[in-house]
Amino acid sequence: MTPRRYLLVLGVPGLIWVVLFVTLALYSLLAIALGGLDPLLLTPVPAWNPLEWSTANVHEVAQGLQPFSGNTWIVFQRTCIYILIALAGCILIGYPVAYFTAVHAGRWRGTILALLVLPLLVSYMLRMLAWVGLLSPQGWVNAVLVPLHVVPANYGWLDGRAITVVSGLMYGWIPYFIIPVYAALARFDTRYLEASRDLGAGTGSTFFHVTLPMSRQGLLAGTVVVALPMFGDFFTNGLLSGVSSTGMVGTLINTYAESQTNQAVAAALAVWLTVFLAILLLPYLRSSARAGREVGR
Amino acid sequence: MRSRLRHASWGKIGLVAIVVLYILWSLAPVAIAFLFSFNAGYSRSTWQGFSMQWWTGPKSVFNLPIYTDAIRHSLLLAVLAVIITVPLGVSLSIFLSRWRGITARPASFLATVPLVVPELVLALALFFLVTKVNLPIVTLGTSGQVVGQVTFILPLVIVITIGRLSSIPTGYEEAAQDLGASPPQSFRLVLVPLLQPAILASAIVAFAVSIDDFVITQYMSSTSSTQSVPMLIYTATRGGATPALNAMATIMALTTIVIAAVGFALYRLLARREQITDAPATAPALAVSREGAL
Amino acid sequence: MAGGHIQITDLSRLYGDVLAVDHIDLDMVPGEFFSMLGPSGCGKTTTLRMIAGFEDPDSGQILLDGVDIRHTPPHKRPVNTVFQAYMIFPHLDVYENVAFGLRRQRVGKDELRRRVGAALELVQLEALAKRKPSQLSGGQQQRVALARALILEPAVLLLDEPLGALDAKLRHQLQDELKTLQQTVGITFVYVTHDQEEALTMSDRIAVMSHGRVEQIGTPREVYDEPTTEFVADFLGISNLLSAQAVSGVAGECLLRVGEFLLTARGGETAARGQVRCVVRPERVDLEPADATGPNRVPGTVERLVYLGSATRAIVRLATGQTLQSLIPSDGRPVAFEQGSAVQLELPADALRVLKGGGRAEDAPDAEQVLGDQLEGAADA
Repeated sequence: MTPRRYLLVLGVPGLIWVVLFVTLALYSLLAIALGGLDPLLLTPVPAWNPLEWSTANVHEVAQGLQPFSGNTWIVFQRTCIYILIALAGCILIGYPVAYFTAVHAGRWRGTILALLVLPLLVSYMLRMLAWVGLLSPQGWVNAVLVPLHVVPANYGWLDGRAITVVSGLMYGWIPYFIIPVYAALARFDTRYLEASRDLGAGTGSTFFHVTLPMSRQGLLAGTVVVALPMFGDFFTNGLLSGVSSTGMVGTLINTYAESQTNQAVAAALAVWLTVFLAILLLPYLRSSARAGREVGR
Repeated sequence: MRSRLRHASWGKIGLVAIVVLYILWSLAPVAIAFLFSFNAGYSRSTWQGFSMQWWTGPKSVFNLPIYTDAIRHSLLLAVLAVIITVPLGVSLSIFLSRWRGITARPASFLATVPLVVPELVLALALFFLVTKVNLPIVTLGTSGQVVGQVTFILPLVIVITIGRLSSIPTGYEEAAQDLGASPPQSFRLVLVPLLQPAILASAIVAFAVSIDDFVITQYMSSTSSTQSVPMLIYTATRGGATPALNAMATIMALTTIVIAAVGFALYRLLARREQITDAPATAPALAVSREGAL
Repeated sequence: MAGGHIQITDLSRLYGDVLAVDHIDLDMVPGEFFSMLGPSGCGKTTTLRMIAGFEDPDSGQILLDGVDIRHTPPHKRPVNTVFQAYMIFPHLDVYENVAFGLRRQRVGKDELRRRVGAALELVQLEALAKRKPSQLSGGQQQRVALARALILEPAVLLLDEPLGALDAKLRHQLQDELKTLQQTVGITFVYVTHDQEEALTMSDRIAVMSHGRVEQIGTPREVYDEPTTEFVADFLGISNLLSAQAVSGVAGECLLRVGEFLLTARGGETAARGQVRCVVRPERVDLEPADATGPNRVPGTVERLVYLGSATRAIVRLATGQTLQSLIPSDGRPVAFEQGSAVQLELPADALRVLKGGGRAEDAPDAEQVLGDQLEGAADA
């Protein structure tokens, strides 16, 4: 068997899988989004032929997306706000942790890394489960905060509060944020810092003018790793809030998907979301390609 | 980095404080949840004393089918996911990194698409594929769940493997063939052994991601017999579930942690053994230091 | 083991629109140590890889003992390679590395052990059989690569700059060992290198290559003392290249005009006429006092003297403007000249070679004209 033929034998199963379960699957999503509705069963019918595509569902979603007035828009706006706040929290807490571990940890680095990776091995569900226990009216959070008069007795953290959902998002995704930022900082040659100090810059100045710009790629990577899943998240709200008034785009898609009739709308909304995220991601992909060239990788 | 600051500056103290507080905040809730699995009462939020009732006895996690079925199903899915994704992903990675042709680029792109769309979108897409297209074998239920998880985990395996592959020169396979090994033999006897660390890492990642997966597993499920642990937690958490729920969740977490720890130790062992010596670069240094050996 | 006979006809390899190997022909004598020498990019490694089977030629034939192996996959060719980076399998110890090819042939357990032992003995590595490659020095790894290839008793052994990564002392030692090994074992070695000293020391014949083409094939002495093209003359040894006008000559001799001086050349393309390039090795150039007389002498000034230990290099600027080097062997006494001395450079006729790629007969100036100038010059003197 020639080397080339053998490579094909290795690659074909994976290629078939990807074509079938990624490309065809996403196409099915598109076909449903642009498809029709069975008049009798009221279930969505996929339109495989592009000539038969109907924009009815997409249009419906577009209507909902009317800036500031459409119901979908409101949810979308809420989603963006929640994610931005959660991201801010991730950066404010996560960056210092990653920075310390990469640069100042010394012989503790291995231990700290193990502790940072540990949450990733514990399922997201368990971590949310833990908070449901803590945030319940008789839970330990209230046990501490009520005597301090921060909140009234039996405060319902889990009764549909934005702060709970946003905190939950942040708590859930921070470990996933820290790892890429750490990886980028660990690759960072500390001699740049020495060079900067040698040239007269103080600690603060060195940080702002050398370290921070060079960690930009890592921060970007961490943001992408975390923001993407947040846009599809519905279970955080489902566990920590339970009402749709704090729901995000993911909640909306999931709700639509649960009812047979609205599945096509769910599909259309999912398509909209994907397009939106693709547009958002484009500059990141280009930026990471450019950064790869700069460092001569 | 040897810090030039001999005295601890305020900044550094602050950093250490943040790190310590973060780690506590990150792990304490889980430890507390574990603690509550030993609660004497039915509450998951108020401590009522110590008891083993949720671990042994009639109401325990091991005695109620709803919990044991979920655990069994999660483990089944994880094992299947690993068995399928690792060989599939490693083979595909070898193809993608060694093939000289136009198909490699678009194929790599497609394979990593699951990383750039939210899992919900992929779950929905797979749901429609499986329900609207009559595929052999693959339907909603265990088969669909496995297929969904494999598709979701595949890009991770590819990233890990291609990373390792790019540091293995093609010269090794050439040398093997030069010595009479056919391409399949050079793959089996040279490339796979050199890839062992990556294969192990892929297996661990695949297991961990599969055990904890929620969205795809949920969307591809059918009856209650296809309920995984994350799915059960999601349904039961806001209800009146007993601390047995905590016990179940903790069992899975501990399983993953133990497997990851063992795997990591094995990985370190393998990577050290398989040290790839870059002859031109290291040879002069070695030659100088081992003058007498010749 | 008998040496294989490699014959390459019209071999080419195209990379994009660059001909890495440009329709070359090579005929190697069975059992000889054949080197391909040239700068990086000249096509020597590509040619080697095509013989091994790792690259596909775009044209031509590769015959081994009369059989065209061009379409045979590398694992089926009775040729083995020693790679530049050795490529010792890191996950196997020395013993298993050497046994690798033999295991593919399914030889019996006892025979395997015997042959691996013999191969290790051949390269003096018996004591290190259980070591892992990461525990070996560069020289040791190279020996493992050798043993691993030779144990399979190939008709031809291909070596791709195997000594490039080693320091000078080690390299010289291994050069000797490789040459002895090749003579003992008797198989054809095809050796690729960019180091001319290495090629000259070890080879039976050398093919000097440049830009995908073979410039010259010959024994070490031939390519060094009798280079046919400027590239070969320049690549091997210090170049003493001279531009001249070839004005006339008889069979085996050529009259060259350098500035206002006439020199006789008896080497190379003595039939060439017109603008030509010539070469004379520094060891053959004699420095004489300014008042010396005789044929083939050009006056000049010593620009610089460089003491090399075993010899002194004198850089002399000729009266015609060109610069030549002379190598004066040390005989214990100080050199008779110093910087600025006026000297006469003798370029012996049989050391002076006219290189290929020079002039054509039509470019020759009128012979009578030249004779007339000479007589005029003599009359004025």
